[in-house]
Amino acid sequence: MRLLTHNFLRSNVKGTENGYPLNIEVTTINCEDSPLDKSFLLNLLPKVNYPALRTAVQQISQHCVPPLKEIPEQLDVSDKESNQNLDHETLKNLHRVLFDVYLIEGWLVCPDTGRKFPVKDGIPNMILHEDEI
Amino acid sequence: EAEAEAEAQIDSELDAQAKYNKDTEHNNHNPIKPYHERSWKITIHTLGSTYTRQEQNEMRSKFSFLQFPGPVQMKHPDDEYLFIREVELDAMGGAVYPRHCKGEDGKTKKELIPENDARPPLACYFGRVLGNGTLGRNWRGSNRLFRYSLKKRTYLGPTSMDSELSLIMTNLAKVQKGSFAFDPFVGTGSILLTAALRGAQTFGTDIDLRVLRGRNPNENIVSNFQQYGLPPPELVRSDNSIYHRHFRKHLPLFDAIVTDPPYGIRAGARKSGSRRGDGEVRPVLEEYRYDHVAQTRPYAVSDVMADLLNVAAMTLVMGGRLTYVIPSMLDFNEEEDLPRHDCLKVVSVCYQPLQTELGRRTVTMEKVKEYDDRKRDEYLEGTWVNGPQSAEKVANIRERLIEAAKKKPGYEEKAAWRKQKRKETKEAKKRAKLEGADQGVNSKSPNSNDDSERG
Repeated sequence: MRLLTHNFLRSNVKGTENGYPLNIEVTTINCEDSPLDKSFLLNLLPKVNYPALRTAVQQISQHCVPPLKEIPEQLDVSDKESNQNLDHETLKNLHRVLFDVYLIEGWLVCPDTGRKFPVKDGIPNMILHEDEI
Repeated sequence: EAEAEAEAQIDSELDAQAKYNKDTEHNNHNPIKPYHERSWKITIHTLGSTYTRQEQNEMRSKFSFLQFPGPVQMKHPDDEYLFIREVELDAMGGAVYPRHCKGEDGKTKKELIPENDARPPLACYFGRVLGNGTLGRNWRGSNRLFRYSLKKRTYLGPTSMDSELSLIMTNLAKVQKGSFAFDPFVGTGSILLTAALRGAQTFGTDIDLRVLRGRNPNENIVSNFQQYGLPPPELVRSDNSIYHRHFRKHLPLFDAIVTDPPYGIRAGARKSGSRRGDGEVRPVLEEYRYDHVAQTRPYAVSDVMADLLNVAAMTLVMGGRLTYVIPSMLDFNEEEDLPRHDCLKVVSVCYQPLQTELGRRTVTMEKVKEYDDRKRDEYLEGTWVNGPQSAEKVANIRERLIEAAKKKPGYEEKAAWRKQKRKETKEAKKRAKLEGADQGVNSKSPNSNDDSERG
């Protein structure tokens, strides 16, 4: 699971509306290298919840070797114009955190109910149990 | 002048081809030859009608104005051109106005029906075959499509979509480089793989954890992608019937949704929730929470389609496309029975006959209206305009097929014969196993006190 996916996942156990973003507990993490696809990234950025991305990066950064480079503290990603003007280094770092970091084993924890969703073989298991629906 | 232009066009394609071969070290049987040396042939496709060799050659000669400079070569030419003559076909793939009349034995006679033969075709198509090699069911040789044949795939399931149909579906959905493609019933990932082949970023969900995780680290969805050097898909185990409960509210995300929904023939559809019919739910004790296998219950096909269209309407970008397959029997009426959504309009429906009673339709829809959150119930209720009877036509097809088969003459004998065969195979397997075990015992050390054999 990459942070791109994590950015969209939430917990809605028993209808909680405060199940986003999920906290990440890392057991195993992998970093790969993929080429930056600038147009895809710029297309995607306005849909990303940036504060959630930043929090996620902070939670996993210590487990990454080499450690992840900093992304800006604040960014208004909804502004397509200013996204276009981001410098290449920032775009590369954004690309890296969104696409190149794979959580293989770990947990996604609901910030409201504490319910832990397992991540195994890189696949988060978000299925609600019959008593959580 | 047109010829010079065509020559320049083909030369630039050849350059691109040479570069592709060099970059990918693709083993190409045909070395790149300049245009005027390339051998060629024209293949004629006349689905629903038969033409004699003489008649076909007459068709071919109509294209002599193209003046291809190279030699004609029927076997493995450098370039193959295809001429397709399209006539109106019935539900079974036969011509509505057949050229030849049928004899009493039901087999076609050679006699022409002049008024049918004189009818103009619906359309004619002419083009160059891409992907090197003979079109059609012949997978061998230098046909590049062969690489993607399911036969070569390391991880397959009973519902893996054949690669030809997957490629067509992703084409219909306009999946291209830079697209974000989604399959909410990803299964073994066969459709998503063709999306990735076209350069898309891919995302797949499924409720079935076993199929998502595959058989082992070398036989799973991701290993299929690795087999073709493709970037891996993002996968989530989730329930499409409650998409909005797994995913936060987000701006439209996907350019294309391409999927083969579970319609119960080979893989029963499931959704989250208690299996018990009485609505009673036993709470899961916290200490068992993480080992608990979530109960799932049957997911009616009518709901599968309603949810699919609604998720598509919600998550597709404007102009984005949903392409799905739906099984249908002969009583299905495209105008009235296809599921609908206020935000989506039908772009195309392609019918493919599979058996006498059964076919499948590949439906493509496009998002034309923004999704209004407040209208969710309204959208879902409006899915089947003819009400439950339309949904019934695509639901329970397995049961309907079995019922139809039972009514056919000779069914009981066939069923008994099949049962007998299964019994024989089972017994043969049992015998083979016992014989093998016997031989195993004989080959082991005669010293039965050997410590290494102790438990």
